[in-house]
Amino acid sequence: MAVHEPQRSSPGSEEQEFEFHTGEIRASGEPDAIEFVDVHKSFGRNHVLRGLNMSLPENKISMILGPSGTGKSVCIKHIVGLLYPDSGDVIVHGESIPSLRDAELFETRKKFGVLFQDGALFGSMNLWDNVAFPLRQHTEKGEDEIGEIVNRRMREVGLGGEGAKMPNELSGGMRKRAGFARSLVLDPEIVLFDEPDSGLDPVRTALLCELIKEIHAENGGCYVVITHDIMSARRVAEHISVLWKGKIVESGPAEELFASENPFVRQFLSGESAGPLGME
Amino acid sequence: MVRSVAERAFPSIRHVLEEFGDMMILTGKTIWSALRPPYPYGGEFVSQFLFALRLVWFPLLVSTVAINYGAPGLQAGDFLTLFGALDRLGGFFVLAAIREIGPLITSIVVAGVAGTAITADLGARKVREELDALQVLGVDPVKNLVVPRFLALMVVTGLFDIYALLFGIFGGILAALSFGQPLGPFWGTLFANASVTDLWGSVLKTTIFGAIVAIVCCYKGMSASGGAEGVGRAVNEAVVISFLGIGAFNYVFTQTLLATHPNILVIK
Ligand SMILES: Nc1ncnc2c1ncn2[C@@H]1O[C@H](COP(=O)(O)OP(=O)(O)O)[C@@H](O)[C@H]1O
Ligand SMILES: [Mg+2]
Repeated sequence: MAVHEPQRSSPGSEEQEFEFHTGEIRASGEPDAIEFVDVHKSFGRNHVLRGLNMSLPENKISMILGPSGTGKSVCIKHIVGLLYPDSGDVIVHGESIPSLRDAELFETRKKFGVLFQDGALFGSMNLWDNVAFPLRQHTEKGEDEIGEIVNRRMREVGLGGEGAKMPNELSGGMRKRAGFARSLVLDPEIVLFDEPDSGLDPVRTALLCELIKEIHAENGGCYVVITHDIMSARRVAEHISVLWKGKIVESGPAEELFASENPFVRQFLSGESAGPLGME
Repeated sequence: MVRSVAERAFPSIRHVLEEFGDMMILTGKTIWSALRPPYPYGGEFVSQFLFALRLVWFPLLVSTVAINYGAPGLQAGDFLTLFGALDRLGGFFVLAAIREIGPLITSIVVAGVAGTAITADLGARKVREELDALQVLGVDPVKNLVVPRFLALMVVTGLFDIYALLFGIFGGILAALSFGQPLGPFWGTLFANASVTDLWGSVLKTTIFGAIVAIVCCYKGMSASGGAEGVGRAVNEAVVISFLGIGAFNYVFTQTLLATHPNILVIK
């Protein structure tokens, strides 16, 4: 479809637009849990992912950083098979997600825990039932065992004893923590967080970041955190991918990215106003 | 110039066709997942059914009595007085109330009252990403949310059609009485013209109206985007498209019924 789009700017703009996208992937020293291979995705005329090549390593907390509206949430939805790429492939533990059949996708989804942007708790259930939901849905465990797991996860995220509350009675931070507990009950191998820090004050953001780190240290696995908040990135990231205009600018171990010479990466990671990223 | 106009018109036509296609696909999926085991939607079906019942009965009662008293009752009565044929009012009610007004009022009230509630509810869940979360947790939203609403709305609208016919005829009786007529001729011509075809035709038509409203409202809710404003827009579009669908299908159904059952064309 892209070829039919009216040419809005001068020829050669492609190179200009992607002038900072070296696409450099620095070795992480771990096998890849999730791989995007030349993924393109459009919504109507809105070409969101434009040849995305990205790999997220096993056993690390990876961050996908990028300005808002670049397609970070769209990436997560590709990983769990809620959206399909127009072309290219998304590979999770060696399996191509877009080519799975429904029953296989259902199985594969058990290894994901997803924390959506606002917790995405089910409004018709109280917190306890929300957290117990995946266990009731996916396992044959008895209510006693479910109760034990739910209580432990709720305590971990600091919501022990709040189980009877309904989602609309909670603050945004509590909803996120409850969503976090729900995403952990199946002991997922891969946990995806969509902007866990959005709408939280700095102190609560810091606490949530600590929580993510603690729980990762305990459980291991591939954690993917999406954010545009640089402070969170400095706190928890072990691996960083910088996404802009539907492509990776640069990716690699966090400390190497923070030392990067790339003007866009430097602007973004230091939160300065001067640099290639404007208001547009 | 021509090109730019075409470019502006083209995506909107394409958009309309795409939406229509998506709704057809949703209809197919809904019927397929309603029939294929397992059947986890029983509880949700009952609660949606009762919910619609509770919301619809009163507005429907008021509007059917009032409209049938006013439109076919008083207006047609006035017209029939011209020919001294006011005793034929009952027969006219078969055409007006049973075949057309009952089904239309029922489905319009169901769309406006229960359909909007469905769109708003599903839309709010969509923008809060609850529907995505459900899917990731292995719950199929079509099977668990759309199917029970689809079935409940079909049953509810079908049943409410009979309710609307009864109260519609009651409106006709009020009109006959207000013309100072005895009720004998009203009943006489009503039953002379009414046939079994009229009754099942009316109920079947209204049941399908209910299906159209359910699909449109579920589709619009599940494809809402853009926060609270987006949900408001979805509700608005759901009502507009429901009415369009009801009108278009009514034409097709009436034509088909008259062509296949020519005996109901004969006015006795
Ligand atoms: N389901 C969808 N339908 C249409 N457009 C979408 C959809 N999901 C995302 N988009 C568009 O894709 C772009 C990227 O969105 P998103 O991934 O949410 O950005 P962010 O990086 O802020 O998470 C936005 O322009 C958004 O409007
Ligand atoms: Mg997002």
